[in-house]
Amino acid sequence: MALQAEEDAPDFNREIRPILAENCFHCHGPDEKSREGDLRLDTFKGATEGGEFADPVVPGKPDESELIARIHSKDPEELMPPPDSKRTLTKKEKKLLERWIASGAKYEEHWAWVSPVRASVPGNKPVDAFILRRLEKEGLEFSKPATSGNLLRRLSLDLIGLPPSPDDFERFSNGGDYEAEVDRLLASPRFGERWARHWLDLARYADSNGFQADQLRPSWAYRDWVINALNSNMPYDQFTIEQIAGDLLPKSDLRQKIATGFHRTVTCNVEAGVSPEGNRMNQVFDRVNTTATVWLGVTLECAQCHDHKFDPFTMKDYYSLFAYFNNTPIEVQPPSNKNDVSHDFVGPYLDLPLSPEQQRKADQLDEIIADLTREREKLNEGSELEFVAWQKSAMASLASHPKWQAMKVTAFQSSGGEEHRVLKDGSVLLAGKVPDTATYTVEVETKLKDITGFRLETLTHPDLPGKGPGRGDAVRPNFVLHEFRAALKTGGKERPIALQKAEADFSQKNWSVAGAIDGKAKTGWAISPQFGKPHQAIFELAEPIPNASGSKFVFQLVQNFGKGRVIGNVRISAISDPSGVGSLQPGIVAILKKSEGKRNAKQVEKLRSHFLNSDPKLVRLEAQLARLKKERSDLKVDQTLVMVELEKPRKTHILKRGNFLAPDVEVSPGTPTRLPKLENSSNRLDLAKWLVRRDNPLTARVAVNRWWAELFGNGIVATLEDFGTQSEPPTHPELLDWLAVELMESGWDMKHILKIIVMSQTYRQSSRLTPELLEKDPRNLLFARAPRFRMDAERLRDNALTISGLLSTKMHGKPIMPYQPNGLWRQTGRNEPKWVEQKDENRWRRGIYIVYRRAAPYPSMVNFDAPDRSSCTVQRPRTNTPIQALTMLNDPAYVEMALALADRILTESKAPNERVNYAFGLTLGRSATSREVKIIEELVRNRGEYYRENQNKLNVVLKSPKFFYKPRHENKIELATWFHVANALLNLDEVMTRN
Amino acid sequence: MNPNPFLTQNRRAFLQKTGFGFGSAAFASLMNQDAAATTDQPLAKLGLHHAPKAKRVIYIHLVGAPSHLDLFDFKPELQKRTGQLCPDEFFDLNQLAFIREQPNLLGTPKDERFAFKRCGKSGTEISNLLPNLQGVADEMCFIKTLHTEQFNHAPAQMFALTGFERFGRPSIGSWTSYGLGSENQNLPGFVVLITGQVLGAGNSAFGSGFLPTIHQGVEFRSKGDPVLFLSNPDGVSHGERRVVVDAVKDLNQVALDDVGDPEIATRINQYEMAYRMQTSVPELMDIKSEPKRIHEMYGTEPGQSSFANNCLLARRLVERGVRFVQLFDQGWDHHGGVFDNLPKKARQVDQPIAALIKDLRERGLLEDTLIVWNAEFGRTPMAQGTSGDGSTQSKAGRDHHKEAYSVWMAGGGTKPGHVFGETDELGYGIAKDPVHVHDFNATILHLLGIDHERLTFRYQGRQFRLTDVHGKVVKGVLA
Repeated sequence: MALQAEEDAPDFNREIRPILAENCFHCHGPDEKSREGDLRLDTFKGATEGGEFADPVVPGKPDESELIARIHSKDPEELMPPPDSKRTLTKKEKKLLERWIASGAKYEEHWAWVSPVRASVPGNKPVDAFILRRLEKEGLEFSKPATSGNLLRRLSLDLIGLPPSPDDFERFSNGGDYEAEVDRLLASPRFGERWARHWLDLARYADSNGFQADQLRPSWAYRDWVINALNSNMPYDQFTIEQIAGDLLPKSDLRQKIATGFHRTVTCNVEAGVSPEGNRMNQVFDRVNTTATVWLGVTLECAQCHDHKFDPFTMKDYYSLFAYFNNTPIEVQPPSNKNDVSHDFVGPYLDLPLSPEQQRKADQLDEIIADLTREREKLNEGSELEFVAWQKSAMASLASHPKWQAMKVTAFQSSGGEEHRVLKDGSVLLAGKVPDTATYTVEVETKLKDITGFRLETLTHPDLPGKGPGRGDAVRPNFVLHEFRAALKTGGKERPIALQKAEADFSQKNWSVAGAIDGKAKTGWAISPQFGKPHQAIFELAEPIPNASGSKFVFQLVQNFGKGRVIGNVRISAISDPSGVGSLQPGIVAILKKSEGKRNAKQVEKLRSHFLNSDPKLVRLEAQLARLKKERSDLKVDQTLVMVELEKPRKTHILKRGNFLAPDVEVSPGTPTRLPKLENSSNRLDLAKWLVRRDNPLTARVAVNRWWAELFGNGIVATLEDFGTQSEPPTHPELLDWLAVELMESGWDMKHILKIIVMSQTYRQSSRLTPELLEKDPRNLLFARAPRFRMDAERLRDNALTISGLLSTKMHGKPIMPYQPNGLWRQTGRNEPKWVEQKDENRWRRGIYIVYRRAAPYPSMVNFDAPDRSSCTVQRPRTNTPIQALTMLNDPAYVEMALALADRILTESKAPNERVNYAFGLTLGRSATSREVKIIEELVRNRGEYYRENQNKLNVVLKSPKFFYKPRHENKIELATWFHVANALLNLDEVMTRN
Repeated sequence: MNPNPFLTQNRRAFLQKTGFGFGSAAFASLMNQDAAATTDQPLAKLGLHHAPKAKRVIYIHLVGAPSHLDLFDFKPELQKRTGQLCPDEFFDLNQLAFIREQPNLLGTPKDERFAFKRCGKSGTEISNLLPNLQGVADEMCFIKTLHTEQFNHAPAQMFALTGFERFGRPSIGSWTSYGLGSENQNLPGFVVLITGQVLGAGNSAFGSGFLPTIHQGVEFRSKGDPVLFLSNPDGVSHGERRVVVDAVKDLNQVALDDVGDPEIATRINQYEMAYRMQTSVPELMDIKSEPKRIHEMYGTEPGQSSFANNCLLARRLVERGVRFVQLFDQGWDHHGGVFDNLPKKARQVDQPIAALIKDLRERGLLEDTLIVWNAEFGRTPMAQGTSGDGSTQSKAGRDHHKEAYSVWMAGGGTKPGHVFGETDELGYGIAKDPVHVHDFNATILHLLGIDHERLTFRYQGRQFRLTDVHGKVVKGVLA
């Protein structure tokens, strides 16, 4: 082989162009500005006509070619490439150039830049015809057909990602029709779930931002869109257009907008200090590179910083494509709170409609809210007379001057153990070490009778940081009073006093003083941003306290926020004021003191609202309404990330070295010049339509090649991600082009192409590997056998769930959280998401629904080569590691499946001696061989004996706290025995392999 | 080295098609088709690119970036000018993560605790905050002029560790594992030990990118299973596990006999290796067996999760043939209260790292084990927050600084007791001998016997390497 290759003409694209590009094009290439000696070597015309040189390249005659003389020259003035370029040619490269000229110096267009043409094909089985033609050339033939069980399992795992059921196996082995099975599987809703996995790797779909804090964000509606689009066999051109530019379609509907989530799956860095524009630029880079990889199968990334070395893509091409994606808004901005360590995320969202279930609930709530609102209006109207009466009595009471009296502090204690001092004004000033949290216990006495209210004052003081009233922070001297409790102390006993209402001169947003008497640990009163000022809260007693003898009161001030958010100076007073005017805030008192005629409309309204708020019935109603309204608004929260086009397009420049701070010349939107031209284009929609234009040589080829690889393990072009000049040449170019043309001419019908492939004899062969095949074609590039390969992470899990009978086929919706070991989601930053294991049907749903967090993807998936989805993944590696063995053997998720499988075998197989075969039928769709039966029987004997002798071990194994599954089979010895068998079965190479 | 009979027959095809066990991954890249294509040499003769000085690496990454100015790069002039407004160009030309107003200069406090001492024969200056490292200064080789291109944590971590500021590239440990494999059949070639929280770049900081997943860093945890899923199911003993693993092996053997796919043979081996790991990993992680002297030296306590324990584990890992051990330690991002927080963090790492150097030296392992101290960037000579007044009570901190920072290496063929490069008098920029992150990575590979320009992997139609198209080996640090 090697010798023969020596004599062949070198492959221009693979062997010659890279040498010329690397060493010559810099001065003798397409760029006129830097061209030397008027010579260009990137075209046949330029190389043979020469500029200032007579004969740079004379086809067929290396000896007469100036180029050859120059590369061998000993004269540094003559030598090419010139010594100061620091480029040198190796001996091998020089030899190649000589051979190339000797063989005619042919320049070739790379096959992938030329539109595919359908080759004529004998017979009506194109796939087999093309494959067989090549096999015959190599002296090979097709392998035998696969056995029926094998074939159906392969087909089912390939098309829907799940194994057949025992019924499916039975029907098919009893003369079932293969084509009917193909049609059934292509129509299954499971189809979309299986193929979405493949697409979502390309789309780098995940449920989190990536980077520092890696917060979760909603994109799952896009994931569901992909599943639905695949299930409905949306034509691939439409599938493309909606994802790239669904938002720009005329009258685009909700679904088309959701589809644009494709390009909102990019990572987003909210780390404070990140340049928002830099972050946006990185996202646009990713969108350009991913688009090029997914549809064009080319690596444009290189042209970000310099013209592509080998492929005909310039920086101008790159940034012209970039221009289509450049009109996006900023997605992060510096935090509104300066102390925050994360930026705020401000990228565009789309509100999703309610699900039918949510809609019913919403209608119900709307109705109740409407009823209660009417009721409140009625109450408001009816109370107008009462309002007038109250004003009169309040004004009268005010004249009698009920006054607050500070109570004398007899004892003070703090759980924080800090120092305190009682000041002359009757307040307590805290000093010394600032505790994180504290509960103050204040004991007071007073002679005041008929007490109706207490007042808590939080005062400022020069000794407090920032004057107080809080102690923890000089800049933000806040406090959080979680609970304020009062008790009457008589004869050593404390009796709690009911407080019915709390009002404060000021409450921080979401920290209303009402929270201080609601008995809830998390709510409380705080006063940000009104620092450095005294504040007061007034608490109304449910019943007046006669206090005939002058008793003691005990107050507790619970302050649990942490960071020293505790009160620095506190005073408690009491009042006797049966008509309640003394409890009025100063503002209300001031209005009441004015005569009726002098109050303005705003003041009257303030009085009215105060009066209405003191009506317990109304207050209850308001609270109820507020709760219902919140419940209603919570129903609307589902959103999804979508693309939005700025109204005014941004300017796009070529960026020097890809640096957004170094813009060069401006460019307008356009497609790479080597590919078919796109006239008068302006936006993403034009680009999207161009991607699926009939004369685009790449999109259809790249797509069918990926589908082929999903079914055969290898692509027809082995480098699925690269069809450029450095790619591996197609093993079956005519087949690739036939499939590509068929895809386009069938109306971009994906299921049609898959059906053609799986109906072929090529697909239906046995995967048995003979020494001859291993020798001749170890990588199975010629397809003389069906491939066998370990399934991807999601299929492995879905397969085991199905076999064990646990699989839930519930579709769509928010990502799920099945079992995972504790502590994997520790992470820095705010809004840290938590893993909450679901102990219901959700834990057994398909892998496609498991939450994808980029910094810590689901571990068993990672162990089986799932990517972190931070960037576009065209093909997952397929490794075989001890970590995988540990996962399948010991991951509690798989262990639980083993328990369920054991239970299933024991409860479903008809007789004890049927169990082994039933188990093999379930897991592999075949009966066990005699060798296999012997191995399993030995395992059953060994385990059975062990558990009969060690019955105390039964519950340890069967009742692990990690199990949520409850077995039905009652014989625990059998169950534990078969648990080990099931565990072994799930670990078989054959079970993990699609063959 | 390789138990799989199919490998001798068709090694190249096998490597392309399948993953490899830990042991068999050795020389994967150097025997790879693509590497061969660029060298004109027969595969079998292609060993390392040159004789290695280091056979393994312990790479300590201080997550968040320590204040190198207060630990290693003493600047008297900066100390003198503390509290003065910084020169305009420090503020105008610099991309700063958090500082928004022209800041003051902030020198190391004039306090004995923070003073620098000339140490050992070499006279290398190290802060009193690191008294134990002062004692091994003659083993350390400093680079004072490392500089990077990123000034936010996650991108800078990826840039330092994968040579690229965004996701998707293999980390330096993965490249090493890919190039050299593991010397131990039962342990991964690249092990990660973490104290504190996971760093911002997440698993990507030790991920394998487009390299086969076998080369990704495997985190050994101090809580729960040291390696995920290492423990048998509840109520199943190691002996009982053998029964199931044997049944799996026998059944897989049936399939191998029938189908003939070498992949099945590999899987059988991997199950054996997994079973052995169930013993070897807990044995490795259990430091109780270490003598009292060693515990005192490192400051370790069995059963705790601490940086000290990780240092000791690192020694146990390299002793067992793991190529690349990476320690991450969180908590160095001192934007505020740097003079309060830095001494605490310094105390946590000083003794164990010095112990690690001494311990390796005593065992004769230091000469071919490379220890690296690195971070994603350095910290500014300007104060962040409250203007620094030079007092140790000041609440001032330091912002992210990419222009120049200090790192060091020890052992593994580096020049002992040496300082390379010099920053300017205020510690802002470089005065002499700049070292770019790519240069630093090229140097580490060089010490391992790898030419960074030739350790490549073909992906998306081009050859990728750790150093992109840059990087020069820093000859000045080679012994």
